[in-house]
Amino acid sequence: MIPALLWQILFLYLPLVFIIFVSFLKDIDYLVVGNLSLQHYTDLLKPIYLKIWGRSLSLAFFTSTLCLAIAYPVAYFLVFRIKRMRNLLLFLLVLPFWANFLVLVYAWFFVLEQGGILNSFLLNLGIISEPLRILNTQFAVYLVMLFCFLPFMVMPIYSSMEKINKSIFEASFDLGANRWQTLTRIIMPLSSSGIRTGFFLVFIPAFGEFVVPLLLGGGKTMYVGSLISFLFLETKSIEWGAAFTCVSGIILIVAVFALNKLLKTIFGKERV
Amino acid sequence: MREIKLKNIKKVFDGEPILEGINLTIPSGEFFALLGPSGSGKTTLLRLIAGFEQADEGAIFLGSKNITDVPINKRRVNTVFQNYALFPHLNVFDNVAYGLKIKNVKKETIEQKVIRILKTVHLEKHIYKSIDQLSGGQQQRVALARAIVNEPDVLLLDEPLAALDLKLREKMLVELIDLQDELKTTFVYVTHDQFEALTVADRMAIMNADGEIEQVGTPKEIYEFPASSFVASFVGSTNLLKGTIRQEGARNQIEIEDLGLFDLHIPVDKPWAKDGVQVLMSIRPEKFEVSKTELAGFSNHLVGTVDSIVYHGRSTQYHISLPNETVIKVFEQNEEHFPQEEIDYDDKVNIYWQKENVVLLET
Repeated sequence: MIPALLWQILFLYLPLVFIIFVSFLKDIDYLVVGNLSLQHYTDLLKPIYLKIWGRSLSLAFFTSTLCLAIAYPVAYFLVFRIKRMRNLLLFLLVLPFWANFLVLVYAWFFVLEQGGILNSFLLNLGIISEPLRILNTQFAVYLVMLFCFLPFMVMPIYSSMEKINKSIFEASFDLGANRWQTLTRIIMPLSSSGIRTGFFLVFIPAFGEFVVPLLLGGGKTMYVGSLISFLFLETKSIEWGAAFTCVSGIILIVAVFALNKLLKTIFGKERV
Repeated sequence: MREIKLKNIKKVFDGEPILEGINLTIPSGEFFALLGPSGSGKTTLLRLIAGFEQADEGAIFLGSKNITDVPINKRRVNTVFQNYALFPHLNVFDNVAYGLKIKNVKKETIEQKVIRILKTVHLEKHIYKSIDQLSGGQQQRVALARAIVNEPDVLLLDEPLAALDLKLREKMLVELIDLQDELKTTFVYVTHDQFEALTVADRMAIMNADGEIEQVGTPKEIYEFPASSFVASFVGSTNLLKGTIRQEGARNQIEIEDLGLFDLHIPVDKPWAKDGVQVLMSIRPEKFEVSKTELAGFSNHLVGTVDSIVYHGRSTQYHISLPNETVIKVFEQNEEHFPQEEIDYDDKVNIYWQKENVVLLET
């Protein structure tokens, strides 16, 4: 208990307080209270930053929504339709994630590049006559984000669906419901905590993601993650970066609360 | 309200037959029990009627309609599940209203019906409670209400009281009988508990471990006139003694090795019971009379030694060993505070029975 608390204070709360403090400083070189200012915050009101937040929000939102759209049927089939080899299929699903995230992204780099596997495959088949430009596009970013985050969506949904007592479905059919009615009235509400867990497991990291846009999007378009790393590491404007980080954090919290409410109304909420 | 007819049903799981050659008619409006040991396929039979399983052979009729291939949600049959299978995210009202909502019944009608049925099962004080706030007995009633509110042709009950304690179970049994009496719906009640089956059923079917029906009859017929040694020993307890029939003119007797000859009554429906045939004689423990003194008026008499005495309250169970080393079980009602005679361990006692209280069975 105490060591965990110490750990949290030392590595989470103290840095957080520090970041917040720094964001109100005029200049990091003078770590004094008299140096306080809102300057960096007012600077952030420019459209260019609003655009970056918008871009990251939409990347996060579409990644998690697309993940959900794919993961829900996948989990449904794994739980209800597949009797044998379920564990094998689950294993295959998570297998790519035994590799390091960065390695995975690089692997996609080689798949998608001009002379890459995908292009030469399509060229050899004669489907296309000249290599497609996939790398360094938004499409590549969304595709790889989807791929990388899919298991984080499947797993919580799968486990919340699997926990539902099978005789509950039989009861639903017994009472006259068809598959669709059973899905919407029974399975969705009873797996809604898994849906929300999965959604935010994808949404939150996707909002701050900077590796995928950097490597596969060409690094030309800025996302929240890329700007933060740029401000801290490239231009060394720490107080500015801190202010941007704080506002991004607040935007994320607000977005999560709003989406949580939305998901609860769409999929129903469990009473238990 | 229609009868169920099962014709030549066969069901195989993993290459092993669970049910074989099941022919059974359950008349409409009857409280019917399926009784059998675990693994006898009685639950499978119930699931076939509900539509959760498909028979490999044979047909199921509801009234004149063949429902063998009708999907679960289109059968006018509802089930009360062993573990209740209530919807945990819905409250009592919404659980009971589920079937009606699916059928797009008008809102006011749903409300009316649900409230009425919840009154019937004495849950009117818990209408808007969530499921996990209810006791086991209350959950059981919700499961019951959720099924019968749809006014099915047949209500299937799969060991519905197995999770309740004895007192509550006895109470629920009486309520179930009253409910069936009121609704006149056909109830099919699956249980491995003979006490439950004997209590609730108008008629019952006894299934053996091979998935076959051994006997169908009223509880009294099953208990007093079991058709096989399996039924005799599965429903209630009994003493099975092996012997050979000896007929001399009008006198029928049975010869039991090392015990001697005993008078025997051969009913007309057992024409196979002829001179020289080996038979089993089933005598229920309560059909014996035990005394240290000599009693008059019994057709048969034996002498034995008391092996053990188990006091049950309303009755006492004696194990008595006979001269041929077999041990028989005897129940005596404890009618008096101070019995005329105390029977103790190792006492020599007289055992009496009437020849009419014996059931003859094929070996």
